[in-house]
Amino acid sequence: MKKINFLKNPYVQFILFGLVLATLPIMAQTFPFVKSGYIITIGGTLIYAIAALGLNLLLGYSGLISLGTAGFMGLAAYISAYLTVDLGWPFLASMAVAVIIPTIIGILVGLVSLKIEGMYLAIATLAVSEVIRKTFEEFDTFTNGFSGKAAKFPSFFNISLDRASTYYLIVIVMVLVMILMYNMVNGQLGRALNAMRGSEAASQAMGVNLLKYRLIAFAFATAFAALSGVLYVHFVRYSYPSIWSLKLSLDFLAMIIIGGLRSIYGTIIGAFIIFAVPDIFLKQIPYFNQLSYMFNGILIILVIMFYPNGIVNLRYDIKKWWNKIFSRKGKLNNDVGK
Amino acid sequence: MSIFLQILLRSLETGSVYALASLGIIIVYRTSNITNFSQGVVSMFSTFVVTALFINTGMPLWLAILGGVASAITIGILIDLVVIRHTKKVSPVAKQIITLGLIMVILGVTPLFFGVDPLTLPRLINAGDLKILGANISYNGLFNIVFGLVLMFVLFYVLQNTKWGLAVRTTASNEYTARLMGVPTKTVTMFAWAIAGVLGVFSGVMVAPMTSVSLNLMDQVQINALIACVLGGFQTFYGPIFAAYLIGISANLLSYYVSSVWGGQILYIVILAFLIFRPHGLFGKKIVKKV
Repeated sequence: MKKINFLKNPYVQFILFGLVLATLPIMAQTFPFVKSGYIITIGGTLIYAIAALGLNLLLGYSGLISLGTAGFMGLAAYISAYLTVDLGWPFLASMAVAVIIPTIIGILVGLVSLKIEGMYLAIATLAVSEVIRKTFEEFDTFTNGFSGKAAKFPSFFNISLDRASTYYLIVIVMVLVMILMYNMVNGQLGRALNAMRGSEAASQAMGVNLLKYRLIAFAFATAFAALSGVLYVHFVRYSYPSIWSLKLSLDFLAMIIIGGLRSIYGTIIGAFIIFAVPDIFLKQIPYFNQLSYMFNGILIILVIMFYPNGIVNLRYDIKKWWNKIFSRKGKLNNDVGK
Repeated sequence: MSIFLQILLRSLETGSVYALASLGIIIVYRTSNITNFSQGVVSMFSTFVVTALFINTGMPLWLAILGGVASAITIGILIDLVVIRHTKKVSPVAKQIITLGLIMVILGVTPLFFGVDPLTLPRLINAGDLKILGANISYNGLFNIVFGLVLMFVLFYVLQNTKWGLAVRTTASNEYTARLMGVPTKTVTMFAWAIAGVLGVFSGVMVAPMTSVSLNLMDQVQINALIACVLGGFQTFYGPIFAAYLIGISANLLSYYVSSVWGGQILYIVILAFLIFRPHGLFGKKIVKKV
């Protein structure tokens, strides 16, 4: 009895989930059908999931749409690459700076969001992201322009990580972000954001400080995006301006819409659907890049129109169907019994 | 002075491209309450149709453009019939995300039809420059400016003075009441999507000779047109057009007189700062929310 309760504890679930993911490099060594290339694919997917969790906090809980995720992620990636490679800073210090600078810009955007409502906000964040992307192309000394910027695997406390150990780092960071996110959305912040999404006027009347909670939401969303940008540049080890385009921001949007708004596991399922599944299973199909992009678009539209809670909700629906079939059977049996 | 005039004329040309695109966005916004992010990719697709018709069948360019117009109308009507019509109960932000999904669909479909290599589209009027006070402008550029203005004036005339324009304006002002008054709002919305497509294909054909016809042909136009809509305010039809010309002119002036590298970024930041003080744009009215 006690064991079941222990497993139902969400923190334990998050850690178990992380442990399962962490077995991948070992599996790649022992089983031949698990290719070692999967480490890059899954690692990349988890990195994107971290940024998507931040966007989910913004779009799912507070109902604010942002198209700037890719821009902030890229900004952090470039800052971290510049500090570690060109200036020789240690990894942890450069990570801190690379997270703090985009977060400050994100808070500024949050300030703007108080004035620019709903639909206008998407356009404003699009403009911000466009400014950042152009900066990547033009600011040669900092970003190395179109030829791209290289970076190294992270190293701290005299330990230099390789690909597998960087993957472990990513899993650890992701589990920490999941726990942080869980605590936030189930605490005062989550209640305040939910109230604001329902009705701004009503929540203000209840004493929710709009400015404070919006800024917190924007700060965490950009901080998560920046964190994932840092991990990206030190895991994939290069960065081009063309990576951080509107296309990537749309992918993040697709992840949380398809996976499920306001759901932590849904976001991660969405990230796997958008990045890992096409990369692992569908690569052999010709034109697959275009096709997968098209299917993502169709999925977004279908999910919004017919299944607004996202794929993560399937388990409840399946349970419901199962119960329906089961109870009908029970009824039939009863009838037979009579 | 002649340089200034030269820049001004070039800006009017890009400005009319932005103006057509933003008019397409605003007409859809007013009739179906959607900020249409897919305006750019729909016109990109139709420009591909024009280019493919022109290159593969060897028909004259104006006929190919008519083909593009037909495809734009078809796509616009299809989008409305298949997707938008069924989203009455969806929130505005979710509708916006649907148009973002449309971007992904069209970006995925286009290479299947037209390949991944960029194509080139010639100008409608191939040769000839006009000299005004020491400034040069090609006849094609002049034609674009005049054609854009004429198209907009025709549209405004239709909106203000015909029965059909009245139907659009009533739908724009309150869709529910308009339907009660017997306005066929569904048809009006469908026409609005078709017209937006047509405006889009014209802006696409104007831009195409300046670069090459590729997947990101309209990205810049789309972003500038959206920003023009915000700057001009979504509540009027003329606001975004004015803002579109303003953006075209000030972008070129900034990149010539201030910095060719940072001009565009400075303009966007100035506009964002302006929106903090006037969140409803230059001509927008504040909508009073009832609780």
